[in-house]
Amino acid sequence: MKRVLTLSSLLLVCAASAAPGAWRGTITMYVQEYTPNWPGVKKESQLKVFQSIADEYQKKYPGMKIRFSTVPVPDNDTNIRVKAAAGELFDIYWAQAASLNSTLPKNVALDLSKAFDQPNPYIPGNKAWKDVMSPSVLAESRAPNGAVYVLSGDEVAYTIFYNKDLFKKAGLTKAPTSFSELVADSKKLKAAGIAPFHAVPAYPWWSTYFLSDLYSRDYAKLAGFDGQPGFSALDEVVAIHKGVLSPKDDRFMSWWPKFKELTDLWPRDYLTLDVGKNYDAFNQDFVGGKSAMAFEGSYSARTLKDLGAKFEVGAFNFPKLTKNESPLATGANVANAFGGTGSFQFAISTPLANKTMREKGKQEAVLDWMRFFGTPRNLQRLTAENGSYAPTWKGTTPKLALDFDSSAIKAQIGRPRRAVNVGNAAPNLGWVDMQRIFGLYLSGNLTLDAAKKQVQTLLDRAAADYARKNRVDLAKYD
Amino acid sequence: MTVPVSPRPPTDRSLRRLRRLRSGWPAYLFLLPALLLVAYFSYFPAYLAVTRAFTDWDGLNVGGFTGLENFRRAVTDPVMGEATRNMLVWVALGLVLALVPPLLVAELIFHLRGRRRQYAYRTLFVAPIVIPSLVLLLVWGTFYRSDGLINTLLSAVGLGGWRHDWLSDPGTALYSLIFLGFPYVDAFSLLLLYAGLQNIPQDVFEAARLDGATGWRRVARVDLPLLRPQLGLIALLSVIGNMQYFVSPLVLTSGGPGFATTVPALLMYTTATRSGEYGYAMAVAVLLMVAVALLTAASRLMSRRAS
Repeated sequence: MKRVLTLSSLLLVCAASAAPGAWRGTITMYVQEYTPNWPGVKKESQLKVFQSIADEYQKKYPGMKIRFSTVPVPDNDTNIRVKAAAGELFDIYWAQAASLNSTLPKNVALDLSKAFDQPNPYIPGNKAWKDVMSPSVLAESRAPNGAVYVLSGDEVAYTIFYNKDLFKKAGLTKAPTSFSELVADSKKLKAAGIAPFHAVPAYPWWSTYFLSDLYSRDYAKLAGFDGQPGFSALDEVVAIHKGVLSPKDDRFMSWWPKFKELTDLWPRDYLTLDVGKNYDAFNQDFVGGKSAMAFEGSYSARTLKDLGAKFEVGAFNFPKLTKNESPLATGANVANAFGGTGSFQFAISTPLANKTMREKGKQEAVLDWMRFFGTPRNLQRLTAENGSYAPTWKGTTPKLALDFDSSAIKAQIGRPRRAVNVGNAAPNLGWVDMQRIFGLYLSGNLTLDAAKKQVQTLLDRAAADYARKNRVDLAKYD
Repeated sequence: MTVPVSPRPPTDRSLRRLRRLRSGWPAYLFLLPALLLVAYFSYFPAYLAVTRAFTDWDGLNVGGFTGLENFRRAVTDPVMGEATRNMLVWVALGLVLALVPPLLVAELIFHLRGRRRQYAYRTLFVAPIVIPSLVLLLVWGTFYRSDGLINTLLSAVGLGGWRHDWLSDPGTALYSLIFLGFPYVDAFSLLLLYAGLQNIPQDVFEAARLDGATGWRRVARVDLPLLRPQLGLIALLSVIGNMQYFVSPLVLTSGGPGFATTVPALLMYTTATRSGEYGYAMAVAVLLMVAVALLTAASRLMSRRAS
């Protein structure tokens, strides 16, 4: 199998000319929120651009057909796993680099790093495809073995949406600007019989804001362990190993009690649940007008519209921390700290995960199609039509189509992201095991000291697992 | 010099068997597709689970042999320990719920006067099986919310102090899931017990009445002993079903708070689908399979001794 995959990578490198080669047939794609002509969506809300790009390609190369999957996928990783096991994965599919690098089985996606070093013939004057991409996103999406499995072109901005009508009902006329104000406003909402939030307090989301502030002065050091821009999984593991991102450092869990002041005001139904339930919380409670605020991504603007929210929506960013909230706070602007990659994240399947990729010449053809749609011009067209994501490539400009005062979201776009967090070193770390401890603490079922002990055990295990699986000698960073 | 050994002449018994096979070949031929399907869809996955439990299989690539490592991890993992304790509580309480409510309802319906009335009540209790179980779970999920039906009812009857975060408190989450679905009358068990009661000859009831065994005494002395085969079957199916069950924790609590509602089957499922550790998940599955097989064997043995 190794030989097949090496051969596949070599084939990808050889195919740098603007042509799909001799292969002709159907290329299947799952493009998540960029899917054109999604069944059941109102005609005026249908996306068309990806189909137009496909039509252009089909016209240029008669005999080539691009088919977009319009089957809903409730759990993308499981879908990839199951389809790959049957050898029926899409030729090109949406996947996040973090999943491909850690959770999903190896050999479900081709290494695109060599193709990124080659020119993209569909971008005029391009010497290496990666020249148009964001260097930090590229570095952060690199797997421990140096491979890059994902063509990443957009990002999502996270913000706190709020129901202006409910705010008015509680006598609140403006959005909070500090964390203390957020707590104070939540108290007023609760006193007025309104749930401030009704959500699972997602550890990877909230922790990124607090940790990015508390560790902002050490960012360059923490992000530099791997010698690459951005805060990678290796940087995270080294920081855990050195006891910096660990309860041994005062900053690491100092914000938990402060955050608990906020969640003590929330209904407790979701506090201990899986983060996946946040979709229910957003759709039922926030859109249903039962809770006043929801912390979500810019993609939720479309959900609000599709579900017909009947209230005036506002948005504000995670407020700056001051010395009032924590003597360790640095006051850094971390509004865009949590965000990350969006829906323009595409991988190419391997012959192991997709039997049709064994056809002679198909891999070159699929890569050629990816090169065709993977240009700054097309990325701009796709993101502008969708309106929920910001493109990250050179030569593109964000055009978010948000029909409410979205200045808070727009203020995040384009700012350099200096995020510090814990969650990518092991598959279960951030979203599952840490989330469980966090939920138990916030719901009052675990003391801070007990939580610290459990977190330390968890982090030690995650760092050891990472080092073992990726053959990293952590001692060399001592 | 070697003595030539002549083949042993076929005995009458083996001849009979051969003759029966020859005469019955069309029947075996008709059975063959079903047997092949059962072998492929039931026995082959079990074989895969057993063989891959000794590897680090990730669901796609060929797994490397890891010996007993997955089993060692399963029996030493504290989460697996907590999950097993939860499962035992679930199996024990589930057994009570599987036996007592359907028996009570079957007895009540059986003793109603008039066949029409019996039919009406039987239909009333059996009809809910048309409701998809997932819908039932989601409805009960809303009942258990802090602003849900249960807390609202408690406040309405002056028991506001009993209001509780049913699913987010580790102390009540497991019991909330087990006792979900009032009035716990499983249609299959009800019909089985009702049919069992109908099969008891009328003479036995009359003899019991003459001996003074009426009401609860008759249930204890006549009905229960004669319903033993049905009760044994329901108990066995309940134990097996509850050992393998994980839908309500998956849908409503994701095994939380903490691991308060995690059971081994859920652990197996999440380890495979979320972490991609199929080898370890297979080891958990094999342990569950062995436990179920042992319990089934023990139950068969007990019922054989009792009869």
